[in-house]
Amino acid sequence: MSKPHAIIIGAGFTGTATAHDLALRGFDVTVVERGPIANGTSGRTHGLLHSGGRYAVKDQESAIECIDENLILRKIVPFVIEPNGGLFIALNESDLAYGEEFIESCEACHIPLERLTPQQALKLEPNLNPKLLVAFTIPDGTFDPLRLAMSFAATAKKNGAKFRLYHEVKSLLMDGKGTVTGIRLIDRTSNEEFDLHGDIVVNATGAWAGEITAMAGADVPIKPTPGIMVAFERRATQRAINRLCEPADGDIVLPQRRMMVVGTTSFTAENVDYIPIVEDQLKLMVERAADLLPGLRSVKLRGIYMAPRPLIGSGTGRSIARTFKCFDHKETHNIDGFVTITGGKATTLRAMAEKTSDTVCAKLGINVVCQTKETPLISYRQFYTLN
Amino acid sequence: MAEKWNITLKIYRQKQGEKAHYQEIKMDVNPDENVIDLVERAWAFHDRTLTFAHACHHSTCGACGMRVNDREKLTCITSVRSVVSNGGTLKVEPLRNFPVVSDLVVDMGELYRRMDLVGHQPVNSDRAEAIQPEFRPAGPAEPGEDFIRLSDCIECGLCMSACPVFSSTPDYLGPAVLAGAHQAGPEKNPSLLNLVDSATGVWRCHSVFECTAVCPSNVDPGWRIMELRRKVVGDRIKTLFNPRKTAQVSK
Amino acid sequence: MNAQSNFIVRAARWFDPRGRSLSTWGFMINRLTALGLTFYLFLHLITLGQLAQGPDAYDNFLKLTESPLYKIGELAVVAAVFLHGLNGVRIVITSFGIAVPRQREIFISAMVLGLIAIIIFGLRMFTA
Repeated sequence: MSKPHAIIIGAGFTGTATAHDLALRGFDVTVVERGPIANGTSGRTHGLLHSGGRYAVKDQESAIECIDENLILRKIVPFVIEPNGGLFIALNESDLAYGEEFIESCEACHIPLERLTPQQALKLEPNLNPKLLVAFTIPDGTFDPLRLAMSFAATAKKNGAKFRLYHEVKSLLMDGKGTVTGIRLIDRTSNEEFDLHGDIVVNATGAWAGEITAMAGADVPIKPTPGIMVAFERRATQRAINRLCEPADGDIVLPQRRMMVVGTTSFTAENVDYIPIVEDQLKLMVERAADLLPGLRSVKLRGIYMAPRPLIGSGTGRSIARTFKCFDHKETHNIDGFVTITGGKATTLRAMAEKTSDTVCAKLGINVVCQTKETPLISYRQFYTLN
Repeated sequence: MAEKWNITLKIYRQKQGEKAHYQEIKMDVNPDENVIDLVERAWAFHDRTLTFAHACHHSTCGACGMRVNDREKLTCITSVRSVVSNGGTLKVEPLRNFPVVSDLVVDMGELYRRMDLVGHQPVNSDRAEAIQPEFRPAGPAEPGEDFIRLSDCIECGLCMSACPVFSSTPDYLGPAVLAGAHQAGPEKNPSLLNLVDSATGVWRCHSVFECTAVCPSNVDPGWRIMELRRKVVGDRIKTLFNPRKTAQVSK
Repeated sequence: MNAQSNFIVRAARWFDPRGRSLSTWGFMINRLTALGLTFYLFLHLITLGQLAQGPDAYDNFLKLTESPLYKIGELAVVAAVFLHGLNGVRIVITSFGIAVPRQREIFISAMVLGLIAIIIFGLRMFTA
């Protein structure tokens, strides 16, 4: 029996991880992406390898997903991760009060944490705000966004997946009976157009998912929700630093190479393709970073950037749950051969891919078990060396 | 309120099989924003056929290297103000010494292949990574406490584009690769030592130091190449008195 | 634009200062003075060849050396020797891994020293 051909639209975290999963399950995979790998939301992610601590109190489902995937990623792709853990620090009474809930919730989500006195915390990280009241260690980390996606892509390629970067989908091919049979694409490096047929089309375009589903006359309930990130010119800590409070703007500062990156905010945007930097948000981020690490106030800014997150649901801003969802369009709009995976966060990319691949396999009547939990990824550089 | 300038963006355009030409776009810009923002706006609002490489927008991925007014820059951290003045022209071209795929996109495959060849470590001990004396890693240096962090080198290729020797001699390993070899630690790997101790390795460098001048990420390839020469010469002297069994060139 | 274009085109880029920093000037000055000095070496051998052809040829040659153009040429050779030599000292010591982070400062000092030496030599040549 010939291998089923899966066409994946989008080479961000979801697309590359799904390509890896499906390739391992014996599929012929073609990934099409209108730019280079991770050039959309995925590239501009904060880079936090979530311990789940941030979601433990209000969104336990998310938190458990995070800690589980955190441990898996540390195992399968350690070479793109700074695994030095993180701290949650309390700066006022309200933070302290939240702290009690925090401890209980983390324990309920099996997130390992340890309480530290301010002296202990300052010994670990001398640049912390010396007025901190209490700190907790949790297994956060930092990852390299592009190289994480590229590692999945390289491993998928090794298992036969093909990547067509700089290829944009112009339309979906339909058979007139409500089934998607492939895509029509344009090679943006040469302006050549051609058709590609497949047994299933997976829409992994994240915040742009609605644009693709519209090509089939369908829609998905995602709200592109951008946020700002600000990078500073100095590595002030070795660990991720989180504010011990309900998820709010600018409550995380991460070390990455020789920088610190603070984020983020949350607002709605109309134009998904370009989100301008909002001056007020920039100022807020610098303030919030300085709350946690006062020394950053005098450090030069290195980069400022925005990208739209795909949040699912009908609410706005932070109240939307950050879980992911795989939409089988046969169920949603009676369109076969077409699924959309969206929502989620970077840390859960492998789990999103597993769920998507399970859905795809179920639709095609294929019974192959997921192996991505145990399969180590190969060097991201092999994406270029393999052909 | 943010300052507003008006500049002309002059972009190198070339699709496969076509002749290269420049496209000029007049743009209103904030002088404190970065060049990549302009290129992205050019794509989003002026010409959707423009292709360019980018991912992280904060100098960790190395994808957005381009030549800006003839100089290699990492466009996500290069402010408009630093490369052009109000009313001026901002020329943006792809990196040199790599095959142009389309417009501003080059094929970086050879660089990645060579970084793998020399075994540069994408993550490394913080203390081992920051061996230049000016950089003091944050956090206590407790004995035995080792933090792992992403390597300084982001494989952006700016140094490879700027090196005149690599320009005329594609076989020369190149500054990024030799710096990668230095980071990998050839003392532990005799075959790596052989690879760099060659006419296409450390001895091909002509001390231009343009690589160090354009590196956006504190790698200092020029310095690393000279350090590598010391290691190579030191090793040669050692093996003079104590020859190694066989020099294996692994690939 | 790509590495496949021919060698002459690629080598010509050695001397393209656009967008390049001070570091590249060190490289260019050394290449140019090296080419100049090599050319001078050939000239020198040819003129020595003249001497082997007897006293008349030698006298003719000596007349040439009195022209100002010749003196400027000589100054150019001396200038090339100073610049190439002092820059070369920078290259030699950095090649041994000494003072590499200061190589830019060493280059500037070498060029300043060289300029001073050229001026002194030039003055002595044209006023003696």
